[in-house]
Amino acid sequence: MLQFIAALQPLVIGAVLIWSARVKLSRRQAAANASRSALAPLIGERRALPAYRVLGVVELAIGILLVLPPALAVEAAAATALAAGFTAYLYYAHTHAPDASCGCMSSRRTPVSWRGFARAGLLVVAGLFATLVPAGWPHAFATNAPAGGGLLLAELALVITLSPELDGEWLLPLRRLRARLTHPLTGGTGVPLLSTVQQLQQSPAYRQVASALTSDVREHWDEGEWRFVSQSARYRGRPAVAVFAAPLDGYQPEAVRVAVLDDATGVTVFASGSAADPPFRAYAGG
Amino acid sequence: MTNTIDRRRLLATAVLGGAGIVGATALGSLVPEAAFAADPVDVEPGAVDPNFAEGRITGISGATLFVTGSDTVLHSIRVTDGTSIWKLQPTTFDRIAVGDGLYARGLRLADGTLAADAIWVDIVNVHAHLTNLGRNVMHLDHRGQPIVAHVIPGVTAAVYNGTPAVSDVSLLKVGQHVQVIGAWHPDTNEIDVATVYAAVQ
Repeated sequence: MLQFIAALQPLVIGAVLIWSARVKLSRRQAAANASRSALAPLIGERRALPAYRVLGVVELAIGILLVLPPALAVEAAAATALAAGFTAYLYYAHTHAPDASCGCMSSRRTPVSWRGFARAGLLVVAGLFATLVPAGWPHAFATNAPAGGGLLLAELALVITLSPELDGEWLLPLRRLRARLTHPLTGGTGVPLLSTVQQLQQSPAYRQVASALTSDVREHWDEGEWRFVSQSARYRGRPAVAVFAAPLDGYQPEAVRVAVLDDATGVTVFASGSAADPPFRAYAGG
Repeated sequence: MTNTIDRRRLLATAVLGGAGIVGATALGSLVPEAAFAADPVDVEPGAVDPNFAEGRITGISGATLFVTGSDTVLHSIRVTDGTSIWKLQPTTFDRIAVGDGLYARGLRLADGTLAADAIWVDIVNVHAHLTNLGRNVMHLDHRGQPIVAHVIPGVTAAVYNGTPAVSDVSLLKVGQHVQVIGAWHPDTNEIDVATVYAAVQ
C-alpha cells in the first residue's frame, strides 16, 4: 500500500513542477513576474529575471525526469530539495517582503499565505516519501489503475485548492454561482408600506381628501385582506383623522376607501361613497 | 395597547362602513392644538419657508424638540397628537433621541415654535453606486465615500423601473446605480434602507 502511494508521488510532483516551470519560462509573463516576486529583494533587481529563468529550467528538468520512467531515488531527492528550498524562500518572502508576490505557479500576483506554505510542505512530504520508498508508477498503475487515478486526482485537487493563484479559475466562479443562486438580499416578503401608499395616492378616494390631509402616515396596520393607513387631517377647521383602507392583494387604486373622523368626538364626518360634503370643499370654506 | 386596538377598531369600522358611527369616548381626549386653528402662511418666492425646519436634535423637553439647523439657526419644534413621525417607518415619539437629524413641516406659531404636522427623523436620500452585496447589507459608493446600507427584511422596499414597490430587493446587482431613501445611524456612515430605487433589465 505504502509503496503504491509512494510510486505515484513523482507524478504529482512532476506535474506541479512542469506547470510551475511553464509560467517561469513563458516569454511574456516571466519578466513582470520576476520583478514582482520576492526574488528581486533577495538577490537584486538585475539578477531576478535570469535566476527566475534558471529556476524554471531546473524545475522543468526535474519535473520531466520525475514523470518519465525509470524512477530513481535521486530524482525524488532533488525534487525534495527543491521543495524545501521553496519553503525557505516562502519563509523569506513572508518575513522580509510580505507585499511581494510568491511568483510560484501563475502570473497572478498573490502574496505568500498559509496556503502557499501548506502546498510547499505537501511537496516536501511527497518528495520525502518518494525518496524513501522508490517505486515506478507504471507498475503501480498496472496493479490498480482506478485507485491510482483517484489518488492522483485527489492530490492534484489538493494542490489546486492550496494554490491562491488558481482561485480565479474555480473559486471565483463557484462563489459567483452561489451568489446567483442564493442572492444575499433574498428574504423580503409581504407588501411593503410604500406599495400601499403608492396605491393610496393614485386612488380616487385619496384625491377627494388630499387637500384636507396635514401629516404623513401616522400609523398602519393589517386586518384580513385590508391594510389601514391613518393620517392627520383638518375638517371644517377641526383636527380630524383620515383613515384609508387599501386591499392587500393586488394593486387596485379604485378599491381604496377613506373615512374622516373628528379627532375630538370620534364621529365619522366623511366616508367615501357617503352623501356628506366632500372635505376639500368644507376645508376651503373654512 | 388596549387604547390602540380600540382606536384601530373604530377607524377600521368607520372606513369599511360597518357598525356605523361610534361615540366620542372611545377616542380618548385629543385636545385640539392651537396649530390647527391657524391658517397656512403663504411663502414669498425665494423666501425662507417658515413652516419648515431641519437640523440635529440637541435637546428634548416634554413634547418639544430643540433643534440646531445646519445653518446654525435654532428651532423649537412642538410635537402634537396629530404629528406623524417617520424614522425608517411610521413610528412614535419615544423613538426620537438627542443627536438625531430631522426634517419637520408644520405651522409656525406666534412664539416662533413650529407645531409639527410631520417629522422625518434621520431621513437621507442618496444617489450611489452599488459596490458590494452582503447578507442583508449593501455597500454603496457615494461620490467616493463608502456607505453601509442595511436592508431590513419586512421594512425595506424596492422600486424597479418606477413600478409599484415590492419587498424583493434581490434584483439588485453590483455596479448598479441606485437611489436610496433611508434612515441614518447618527454620526456613522451607516443607514437603514427604507426604499431603494433601481433600473433593472
